Amino acid sequence: MLNALARALSFGTPLLLACLGAILNERAGVVNLGVEGMMALGALAGFAVAFGSGVGDGNLWLAVLAALGAGTLAAFLHAFVTITLQANQFVSGLALTMLGLGSAGLLGKRFEGQPLFNQPPEWPFTLGAIGLAVLLGLVFYATKLGLSLRSVGENPAAADLLGINVSAVRYGAVAVGGALAGLAGAYLSLVYRPSWTDGMTAGLGWIAVALVIFVGWSPLRAIFGAVFFGLLYYLQFRLQGQSPIPSEVFASLPYLLVILVLALSGLRGQQGNAPEALGRPYRRGER
Amino acid sequence: MRKTWLLGILMLLGLGFAQAQQANLKACFIYVGPIGDVGWTFAHDEARRAAEKAIPGLTTQYVESVKPADTMATIDRLVSGGCNVIFTTSFDFMDQTLEAAKKYPEVIFAHASGFKRAPNMLTYMADFYQIYYLNGLMAGALTKSGKVGYVAAFPIPELKRHISAFALGVRAVNPRATVNVKWINAWFDPVKAREAAEALMAEGNDILAFTEDTATVIQTAARRKVPSFSHYNSMYKYAPDYVVSGQLVDWSVIYIDILKKVQNGTYTSKNLQNVDYWWLAREKAVMLGAQVGMPINPKFEAALKRATMTVNGKRVSVYDRVMELYKDIQSASPKWDPFTGPIRDRNGVLRVPAGRKMTVKELNEMQWVAPGVVGQVADEPK
Repeated sequence: MLNALARALSFGTPLLLACLGAILNERAGVVNLGVEGMMALGALAGFAVAFGSGVGDGNLWLAVLAALGAGTLAAFLHAFVTITLQANQFVSGLALTMLGLGSAGLLGKRFEGQPLFNQPPEWPFTLGAIGLAVLLGLVFYATKLGLSLRSVGENPAAADLLGINVSAVRYGAVAVGGALAGLAGAYLSLVYRPSWTDGMTAGLGWIAVALVIFVGWSPLRAIFGAVFFGLLYYLQFRLQGQSPIPSEVFASLPYLLVILVLALSGLRGQQGNAPEALGRPYRRGER
Repeated sequence: MRKTWLLGILMLLGLGFAQAQQANLKACFIYVGPIGDVGWTFAHDEARRAAEKAIPGLTTQYVESVKPADTMATIDRLVSGGCNVIFTTSFDFMDQTLEAAKKYPEVIFAHASGFKRAPNMLTYMADFYQIYYLNGLMAGALTKSGKVGYVAAFPIPELKRHISAFALGVRAVNPRATVNVKWINAWFDPVKAREAAEALMAEGNDILAFTEDTATVIQTAARRKVPSFSHYNSMYKYAPDYVVSGQLVDWSVIYIDILKKVQNGTYTSKNLQNVDYWWLAREKAVMLGAQVGMPINPKFEAALKRATMTVNGKRVSVYDRVMELYKDIQSASPKWDPFTGPIRDRNGVLRVPAGRKMTVKELNEMQWVAPGVVGQVADEPK
């Protein structure tokens, strides 16, 4: 049991980080489907720096910093296209995923198959992610910054009237969201599986995006969501061959649950807490 | 005088023709994964580059991470781009490759790991089943818990053959040991491979082997100080203290052989119906090893020499047995094969009668698994 919890936390860490980033984006009213791509870029940037900065795996912190930077940079692209140019957020996000996966694969060719010899422990990242979730919860509900952020996501026109710079807040949220996705990627390539291979994010970014809806845009619930997903993920292998239920059932459980939650929230007519202005570009003076 | 002129012109023409034919040889490769997967696709791409170096006049092209459903569209694109030999390197590409062979009768197709052929489509495979048995012997000698873990991709004949050969090896040393299988239903998914490996170790398996296209299982096992076996490529560098041995492939010998025979006209688009490569250690298509040139990690030599097993009533060291069998399967006419009867499946049904060896066809269609394999196995005959 303890082992299952440990695995759930370990697997849940990148999900939690990426999910927190996406929650931050969406709370400010910007959907970013580029999580998977930003994760891939973060994973590559982190690995490249760790591998390149010295024999026997250079500086871990520098590597993490590079991953944060790569995620932020990629997110800025999305911010520019959707906030400044007011393009469709969904299309831009999908493009970012493709761009991220593609360019990470291309740039990563020379690192393929190179292992990191120093394998950092997982728990500092896990604790850090949980701490971040709590911090984000505090920011959302106990600070003026959080209020501004949420109002930009709920009603940008009203926020604008109150003197909040909608574009600036959204830019900031998207950038930090990108940094968190980059960090999630770095966790994969530096800690969870210390090496780089093309496609190593293996759809985790998409699970994180789905997780946002599952946890109802709440950073604190994201902790439990990520651990819950991690547990289901681990159990599909742990219970395989140990129970008469075919493993495919366990494998599909997380996705079935997401659909169930979406359906239920749809029935309740709440759209599951989604910020009002989610996915819509803000143009001053338009309704 | 006139005759020599004529001869000269003819020779020049002939040379020109030969050169044109050489220049025209364009081999294209369709891969199922990324070429950097450190596993299956990486091995194919290494061989592609080796073939390009070895054969003058050969140009190559590849498309990576092709979804099976996109096989035909990819082939269409490659044919219009001038490819005259197309290698499709995944079992899932089989049916569409056959269709394409009918659509483009002048193009030569070669499909890896399948069983469907056409006048212009051959099949080829470098198979590990003998090597897996040798690794099984080592796993059987090294396990303390009697539980050996296996992270498996898909329940298809290829994997059942490999897992069964591995289990036969394990049980030849340790008759009570089990090979516990977890399926991840993916060729390339390091995240699933990691969690499956973690689950196996949590259940007490103290040695791991796998079929997945990354080094994840090796890294995960090493983190918990558990020995493991390399798959497809040299993975020794990922865990020098914990990789015992493994199965290595060299597709280049097959690619070079096929392409040379296309170039010199032995293979045409009319005579491939019965061409099936089933190359093993004898042809140097596969090797035993933690990395190339290292059949067994020296760190495990002493333990394997200490461990003994009974062969024909005599006690021999597992190390010697591995080396003896490896030498035999590398020889021009191997005498030994792991699937020599009598062999019963894990339900007790006699599958190979005494004194008979399984045929290549039987190996390719194998649905049963050997005794000692534990875990759910899809499509297993009752």
